[in-house]
Amino acid sequence: MIGVVDYGAGNLASVRHAFERLAVEVEVFDDPDRIANFERIVLPGVGSFRLAMAALDSRGWPAALRAHVSGGRPLLGICLGMQLFFDRGFEHGEMPGLGIVPGDVVLLKPDHPHKVPHVGWNTLNLARPHPVLTGVKPHVDYYFVHSYHCQPADPADVIARCTHGEPFVACAGRGSAVGLQFHPEKSQPAGMRILENFAAWDGTC
Amino acid sequence: MLRQCRRCSLPETYETIEFDADGICNVCRSAEHKQRMVDWPERKKLLDQLIEKHRGRAQYDCIVPFSGGKDSTFQLYYLVKEYKLKPLVVRFNHGFMRETIHRNNQRTFKKLGVDVLEFQPNWHIVKRLMLESFRRKTDFCWHCHTGIYSYPLRVALMYKVPLVFWGEPQSELTAYYDYLNDEIEYEDDKKFNMLRTLGITAEDMHGMIDSPDAPVDKRDLLPYTFPDVGELKALRYVSVPLGSFIPWDYTTNTEIIKKELGWQIDELEGVPMEMNQHGEKIECFMQGSRDYIKFLKRGYSRVCQINAFHVRAGRMTPEEASKLNAEHDGRKPPSLEVFLEYVGLTEAEFREIVTQMAIPPYEHDFDDDRLAKPTWDFEQWYREDNRQPE
Amino acid sequence: MGWHLLKRRVIPVLLLRDGRMVKGRQFKDFRDTGEANTAIRIYSAQDADELVFLDIQASRQSHSALLEVVRAAARECFMPLSAGGGVSSLADVRELLLAGADKVVINSAAIAQPDLVVQAAERFGNQCIIGGIDYRGAGRDARVWVRCGSEATALDPVEYAQRLVGAGVGEIFLQSIDRDGMMQGYDLKTSAAVAAAVSVPVIVCGGAGHFKHLADAFTQTDVAAAACASLFHFGDNNPIRARSYLRNQQVLMRVLR
Repeated sequence: MIGVVDYGAGNLASVRHAFERLAVEVEVFDDPDRIANFERIVLPGVGSFRLAMAALDSRGWPAALRAHVSGGRPLLGICLGMQLFFDRGFEHGEMPGLGIVPGDVVLLKPDHPHKVPHVGWNTLNLARPHPVLTGVKPHVDYYFVHSYHCQPADPADVIARCTHGEPFVACAGRGSAVGLQFHPEKSQPAGMRILENFAAWDGTC
Repeated sequence: MLRQCRRCSLPETYETIEFDADGICNVCRSAEHKQRMVDWPERKKLLDQLIEKHRGRAQYDCIVPFSGGKDSTFQLYYLVKEYKLKPLVVRFNHGFMRETIHRNNQRTFKKLGVDVLEFQPNWHIVKRLMLESFRRKTDFCWHCHTGIYSYPLRVALMYKVPLVFWGEPQSELTAYYDYLNDEIEYEDDKKFNMLRTLGITAEDMHGMIDSPDAPVDKRDLLPYTFPDVGELKALRYVSVPLGSFIPWDYTTNTEIIKKELGWQIDELEGVPMEMNQHGEKIECFMQGSRDYIKFLKRGYSRVCQINAFHVRAGRMTPEEASKLNAEHDGRKPPSLEVFLEYVGLTEAEFREIVTQMAIPPYEHDFDDDRLAKPTWDFEQWYREDNRQPE
Repeated sequence: MGWHLLKRRVIPVLLLRDGRMVKGRQFKDFRDTGEANTAIRIYSAQDADELVFLDIQASRQSHSALLEVVRAAARECFMPLSAGGGVSSLADVRELLLAGADKVVINSAAIAQPDLVVQAAERFGNQCIIGGIDYRGAGRDARVWVRCGSEATALDPVEYAQRLVGAGVGEIFLQSIDRDGMMQGYDLKTSAAVAAAVSVPVIVCGGAGHFKHLADAFTQTDVAAAACASLFHFGDNNPIRARSYLRNQQVLMRVLR
C-alpha cells in the first residue's frame, strides 16, 4: 500500500489518480502516526518551501519521514517534495528542510533565452542507474515546473540531471529516498512508467 | 514543391510524418523496425495463448469487424482457417458499398461458413453527419470512422463476447503508433479518441447538428458512440488487430484471399488498375472523393500512398514512384457530384471549405485539375434528386 | 545532443461558458464547440502538452461549472492543467488548485488588486500563478483591456507584463483580442516584444489557424508556448500532428516515448 502525505501543500489528486490508474493500492493520509501502515510513501509538494516545512513541522511529519527512510522503506519526493529532502531551502530567507539528503535548494538563474521558472517538457540525463528510473530513455520528455533546484552536497546522491541553460539535478536520492524534480503524474506515458517502478521498488539500489 | 521522404516519397503534409537527419520518414523507419526488430514468433505465441484463452467460452469465440476490403477479408479467412474459430462477423455498412464487394462478401461468407450481423445506420442522419464533419474537418467520413470502430464493441457487449479481432495495425500507415514501441495496438477508447473521432465525439456531434428547426434525437448518435468503458472492462474485453501478432503484408494477404476465396479486385476512381492489383479501398464508392479532398488539402493522394508501400517493399524505386505520382495522382472524381448532391453543397462552396483547411505549405491550383474516369459501376450508385445548380 | 533542451509547448485552450465549450472571434460571436468533458478525453488521448481552461462568463454558476470541469480533467488525464476566468481572491486560487489545476490564471483582478498576485505567488509559489494579459492593437499601439475585452486601460502590454513578473507571476498568458479566432496568425510583433522583455515563459494566444502559424511563433519569437483553440476546433488538426509538423520545421517538441 502506498501512502501519499497530505500536509496541506500539494496536488494530491493527480498523484492518487495516477496510482489508481496503475491499479496500485494507494491512500492519502494526514496523520504521521499511521506512517508505519504503508510500505511506500509519496511526498508531493507544490508551492513554497517555507510554508511546506512549516506545515510538516507543525504536524510532526519530519521525524516520521526520517524514521521511514532509516528503516529502509521507499520514499518518493515529487517536485517541492524532493526539495524538502535537503538540508536548507533559500526561498524568502534560509529555512531548514528534512535533512534526508545533504545539500541546498537554490533559485534557478534566468539566462536568456532560458526563462525561470523552468516550465515544460525536458529530458533526463542519467548519472547512475536507479530502479525507479528503469526504462527511462534519454530523448523522452518529462514535465517540469519549478523555480528552485537542488544541489546535493555528495555527487553520489545525484541520479539524473536535466539541462536548462545549465545542467541541474532532476533526480536525487540516498538509500531508500528518491526525489524527482519533475512531475511523473503529469508526464504520461513515460511518467506512469516511473510511478510503476516506484510501486515495485523495495528501497535498495 | 513539397518536401518528400527520400525513400517512399510521402510528402511533409502526410499526417504525423517526420523526416530524420537522413531525410527518411518515420513510417519507413517503423517498417524497417517491423522487419528487423519485432519478435514475430513471440507475438504468434501470444496470439495462440489469447485464442485458446477465449475459445469456446462465449456464444462466439470472437467478434470480427468486417468491411469486405482486403484486410478484413484476410483477417476473417485467417481466423477461420488457421485457428478454426467460430466468429461473429460484424459489418457496419457505411452506405457506400459497391457491387463487387457485395459479391465478394457473399462468396466469402458462404465459403467460410460464418454468422454475419450487418448494421446500416439511418441515411438521413448520415447525410447530416457528412455535411457537419466535412464543414468542420473537411473529412466527411466521420460516421464511418466512429461507426466502424465502436459498433462492433457494442455488439461484443450485447453478445458478451470479449475478444474482438481487427486487422491492419495503425503502425502500417502513420506514426500515431509505431512498430518501434514494440507493443500490441489495442483498439480501445484511447485510440478511438486519439484518431477515430477527428476530435468530435458523438455527444459533441449531437450538439452541433441539433437545432430547433431540425432536431436530432440523441439516440440517433448511439451507433457512433464508443460504448461504456466500465462495461467493456467488466467484460474483460480484448480488442486487438491481428497485425500486432502476425506481420501484416497486404500483398500476400490479397493473393491468399484471391486464391482461396475467389476475391475480386475492382476499379478505383483515379487509380490505374495496374497499380492496384491488391484491391486497396475497393469497398467504398466515395473513395475517389475522399482521395480528391486529401489531394486538395495535402498535395498527395491514393496513388502516392499505394506507391509508398511498393517502394518500401522494394517493388518500385523512389524515382519510379515520383514519376507515376506526377502522372496519375490527385484526379478529380465523378463521385464528387454524388457527394455534393448528398450534402447539398455547390462545387464553389466545396472548394472554399477545403482550401481553408489546406495543410501548409500546400496550396492547390484548381486549374491543374485532371479528371478521373468513372468506374464501371458509377451508374449503380444511389442518387438523390436535390442537386444544387452551379 | 539536440534533444536536451526545454521543448516548446502547444496548448489547447478550452473556453467555457456554464461548463460548455465555446469559441468566438475577437471575443464575440461565440459558437458552441462541444462538451468540455469529451474534449478533455480527446486531448488526453492525444497527449496534449498541457490544457488551459478559461471561464469567460465568470458568474458564480459558471465558476462552479469551471471547478467541475477541472475536477473531471484531473481525474481523467495526467497532464498539466491551468485554469482561470474571474479569479479575484486567494480563495479562488486555492479552490482551483485543490480541484486539480496545476496553475491558475489571474487576469482582470491583477489590475484592480495589485497585491493579489504578490500574495498568491508567495502563498502558492510563483510557478502556480499565470498573469493573463488581453490586449487590442499591436506594437506601440497595443493596450491592455480587461473584463473579457469590455474595459479599456491605458497600459502597454510589455510594461504591464514586466509589472506582473515583478509581482511574482511565473508565466505570462498573452492574448491578442484582435487576432482571436481570426485564424490569420499570431501577433508576432507584440509577442516577441513581451517575450524579450520578461524573464518568465510567455504563452502566446490568439490567431492560430494552421500549423505554419505555430512554426512562425516559435521560429520568430522567444515565446515558450503557443495556445490555440480555433486551430483544433475548426481545422483538421490535432496536437500529435502539430508536434510532427513542428519537428519538421526544426522546432524541438515533446517526445512521448
